[in-house]
Amino acid sequence: MSKKKKKIGSTVFMVLMMLFLYAPIIYTIVFSFNEGKSLTNFTGFSLKWYSKMFANKTMMESLFYTIACAVLATAISTVVGTITAIGLSKSRRAVKSVVEQLNQLPIMNPEIVTAIGLLMLFSAIHIEKGFFTMLIAHIMFCIPYVILSVMPKLRTLNPNIAEAAMDLGATPWQALTKVIVPQCMPGIISGALIAFTMSFDDFVISYFVTGNGVSNISILVYTESRRVNPSINALSTLIVLIITVALILVNVIPSIASKKEAKLAVDKDI
Amino acid sequence: MKKGWLVSLAVLALSMMCLTGCGSKEKLKIYLPGEYMSDELVPNFEKQYNCKVDVELFDSNEMMYTKVMAGDSYDVLIPSDYMIERLIKEDYLQKIDVSKLSNFGSVTDALKVAPYNGFDPDNSYSVPYFWGSVGIVYNQNNVPTSEVEAKGFEIMKDTKYSGKIYMYDSERDSFMIAFKSLGYSMNTNEESEIMAAYDWLVELNTTMAPTTVTDEVIDGMAQGRKDLAIVYSGDAAYILSENEDMRYYTPECGTNVWVDAMVIPKNAKNVDLAYKFIDYVISYDAAMGNTEAVGYASVNKDVLAEVTKEGGLYDGNEAYIPRTGFAKDEVFTDNEFLRKKLSELWIKVKASN
Amino acid sequence: MKQFRKMVYPYLLWSTVVIAVPMLLILLYAFTSGGNSVSKFMFSLHNFKRFLTDKTFLEVLYRSLRIAVETTVVCVLLGYPAAYIIAKYSEKVKMRWVLIITLPTWINMLVRTYAWTGILQEDGVINSFLGLFGIGPVTFMYTDFAVILGMVYNFLPFMIIQIYTSLTKMDYSLIEAASDLGANPRKCFTKVTLPLSMPGVISGITLVFLPSVSSFCIPRMLGGGSYVMVGTIIESQFLTASDWNFGSAISLIMAIIIMISMYITKKVDKGEKLEAINA
Repeated sequence: MSKKKKKIGSTVFMVLMMLFLYAPIIYTIVFSFNEGKSLTNFTGFSLKWYSKMFANKTMMESLFYTIACAVLATAISTVVGTITAIGLSKSRRAVKSVVEQLNQLPIMNPEIVTAIGLLMLFSAIHIEKGFFTMLIAHIMFCIPYVILSVMPKLRTLNPNIAEAAMDLGATPWQALTKVIVPQCMPGIISGALIAFTMSFDDFVISYFVTGNGVSNISILVYTESRRVNPSINALSTLIVLIITVALILVNVIPSIASKKEAKLAVDKDI
Repeated sequence: MKKGWLVSLAVLALSMMCLTGCGSKEKLKIYLPGEYMSDELVPNFEKQYNCKVDVELFDSNEMMYTKVMAGDSYDVLIPSDYMIERLIKEDYLQKIDVSKLSNFGSVTDALKVAPYNGFDPDNSYSVPYFWGSVGIVYNQNNVPTSEVEAKGFEIMKDTKYSGKIYMYDSERDSFMIAFKSLGYSMNTNEESEIMAAYDWLVELNTTMAPTTVTDEVIDGMAQGRKDLAIVYSGDAAYILSENEDMRYYTPECGTNVWVDAMVIPKNAKNVDLAYKFIDYVISYDAAMGNTEAVGYASVNKDVLAEVTKEGGLYDGNEAYIPRTGFAKDEVFTDNEFLRKKLSELWIKVKASN
Repeated sequence: MKQFRKMVYPYLLWSTVVIAVPMLLILLYAFTSGGNSVSKFMFSLHNFKRFLTDKTFLEVLYRSLRIAVETTVVCVLLGYPAAYIIAKYSEKVKMRWVLIITLPTWINMLVRTYAWTGILQEDGVINSFLGLFGIGPVTFMYTDFAVILGMVYNFLPFMIIQIYTSLTKMDYSLIEAASDLGANPRKCFTKVTLPLSMPGVISGITLVFLPSVSSFCIPRMLGGGSYVMVGTIIESQFLTASDWNFGSAISLIMAIIIMISMYITKKVDKGEKLEAINA
C-alpha cells in the first residue's frame, strides 16, 4: 500500500473511531434540547427538559448526593491515602506487603463482589443503608488508588532531605507538610483526580449499599431510564458540562500557577 | 490553603446535616412507589394544611417491607394488596377509623367488596389509592381481536408473533399469566402446578424471543415497536391514549386484579395529619389530578364518572376501568412459600433462552 | 523517620474492617446455608452444588464468558490499529488524541449507555437513517449485538490507552535496525513491534475481560431483563430473592474464575518478557 493510501486509510479510521466514541454524547446533548419527546425527530429547540430537570426533586437530590459524596470521598481518601502512603514508605516489609495485599482486593475484585461484601458487612453491624454507607464504600475503594498514585512518587524522593530538615530543627509535622508532601504533590493530585472520577462514576457499589431513598446519578439513570425521559438527557448534558469544566480547570490551573511562578522568578531576577 | 479546604469541608458537612433536619412546621412522612402521584398533590396539601411532607419513594413492595421491618417510621404507606395483608398479619399497621374520613363515602363501591377487598375484608386497615388489572395490550392491525379473545394469555405463545412481544420482568405477574392460562389459581401452593407454570414460561421464553423489561413496555407499545405486551391497566390506559392502534384485553381465564391502598403504620408519628392526608387524597380535586397525571383508575366514584363520561379524559379507553365482579379474577394473597419459589424459578426462566 | 510508620495504623485498622471482613463474610456465607442472619449457620457445600449442577446456571456462566471474550476480541481488533496510528503521530498530536480518547470515560458509564438505548431503538437514529434508504427497521435493541456494542463502547478506550502506552515506550530504533537488516515492513511489525507491544495488549485484555465477565447493568439496559449474566443472578440473589448464601457462592465462583484468568495472563506476560529478553 502506498504511503498516501495508508495515511488516508488511517485518517478515515481515526475519524470513524472518534465518531463512534462521541456519537452517543453528541446525541444526548442535541436531544436534550429537543422540543418533543421523540428519540429521532428533532422537532424544535427548547429548554423545557432542563426546567423539568431542575424541578425534579429526585434528580436534583441525586446530583447533590453524587457531588457531595465524590467531594467528601475524594478529600478524605486523599488525605488518608497520602498519610498512609508516607507511613508505608517507611514501614517494614511485612507491613508493606499486608497493606498492598489488602489494597489489591478492591481493585482486582469485580465490583459486584466488593459490593455484596459491603452489603453484608453493613447488615451484620446493623448500620442503616444510606448516604453514610455509600460514603464509607466510596472512601474504601478510593484510598487504594490514592496510595497507588502517591507511592511511586515517594520512592523517587530523596529520604535525606526530610532527615536534614528535622536535623535543622523541624518537627516531624513540619517535615511532613513542608518537605515530603509538596514533593509528591503531582502524585497526590493525580490520586485525588482518580478518586473523584471513581466516586462520581460509581454505579455497582453504590447501587448495593445505598438505601433510604439516597441515590446517585448512575443509579438514577439506571432506574429512570425504563421510561423515555428526556430530562435524563438534560441531566446527562449537565454532567458532561461539569466534567468538561472540571477537566479544563484541572489542566489550566496548574499551568497558570506555574506561569505565575515563572513570572515571579523572572521578576525577581530583574 | 490547607485551612481553606478544611473550612469548606466543614461547611459542606454542616449544610448537609441541616438539610436533613430543619423545619418547625408539622411533618408528615409518606412512602410510596415512584411515579405514582401527581406532582401537585403534595405541594397543594402542604399549602392547605401548612405542613411539610417528606416523600420517599420505593421501587418494590419488598423494598418497602424491609425498611418497615427495620423499624423506620412513616405516617402513610401505599403498598399493594398482598403486602398490606402481610403487614396486617405481622401487626405493623394500626386500624383506620373511616368515620373520621369525610370523603370515604366517595370511594367506589366495587372496592368495598370481593374480590377487591380480599386483603382487608372489613376495610378497617386501608383506604384504596389506585386500582387496576393486568392484561394484554395488542396492536389491532397486526393481531386480530378475535384471536386475542379466543386465546387469552395463550396468544403470548403464538409463534406467529415471535420476537414481537414484551413480557413483564416480574416473577409475580409472569407466573400469574401462566397459572391463569393453565386454569390454576395464582395463589396456589401445589408443586405440580408451579412446575407446570414454570414449564409454560420456559416454553414461551425459548420459542417467542420475548423482550423482558419493566417500564420500557410503556413507551415501547406507545411507539408501536411490538405487537403484544403484558401491561398494568393504568399503563395500558396511557398507551391507548397515545396510540390508537392499541387495544386492551383481560382474558376469560381471569387475571390479576389489584388495589394499592393507603395504610398507617403502628409507629406513625403524626397520625392526625396522616388521616388528613388520606382524606385529602380521596377527595375529588386531588383524586382528579392524580388520575389525570398517573393514568390509573381513580377510587373516587365521582372522578370515575367524570373522566369516563362523553368527551371525558378516558372516555372510550377500554383499559381505564378494570373489570369488576368477574369470578375468575383474583387478588394476590400473601404467600411466603410461593414468593420464594417464584423468585428462585424466575431467574431460571429468564436465563433459559 | 521511623515515627512516620505509625501513620499506617489507622488505615490498617480501617482496611481490615472494610476490606478484609467483607471478603471473609462472603466466604462464610458461601460455605454455609441457613439464611441471612449471621447467627444461624450450618456448614454446607449446597450452594456450590446448586449452581454447578444446574444446566441453566452453567449456560448463564458460559454466556457471561462468551460475551466477555467477544467484547475483548473486538476491543483488541479495534484498539490495536487505533493505538498504532496514534503512536505514530507527533508529540503534540499524540497528547491531543489521548485526551480525545479518554474524555468519554470521564462521563458516567450509565449516561453513555443510556444514550445508546435511544440511538438503537426501532424508532431511533440509526433506523431513521437506514429508513432513508428504504432499509429496516432493523432490531438492534435487546440483542447480542447491542450488548457487545455497549460493552465495547465502554471498554475500548482502556484497551487503546494500554496498547498505546506499550507502543510509545518501545524503542523505534529497533524497527529501524530490523529493516536495515533486511526485514520488510510486515516482518518488522510481526517480529518486532507486535511482540514488544504484547504487555500492553495483555494489560488491556485484563482491563476489559475481567469487568466484562461480572457486568450486569449494561447487559440489562441494552439486552433486557432476559439477558441474564452471572452478575444478574448475583444481583437478584441479594436484592430480590434474598438468598445471600447462594449469591455469595456464585460470587466466589466468579472471583475464582477471574483469579485464574489473571494468573494466566500474568504468566503469559512474564513469558513474553522472558522471550523478549532472550531474543
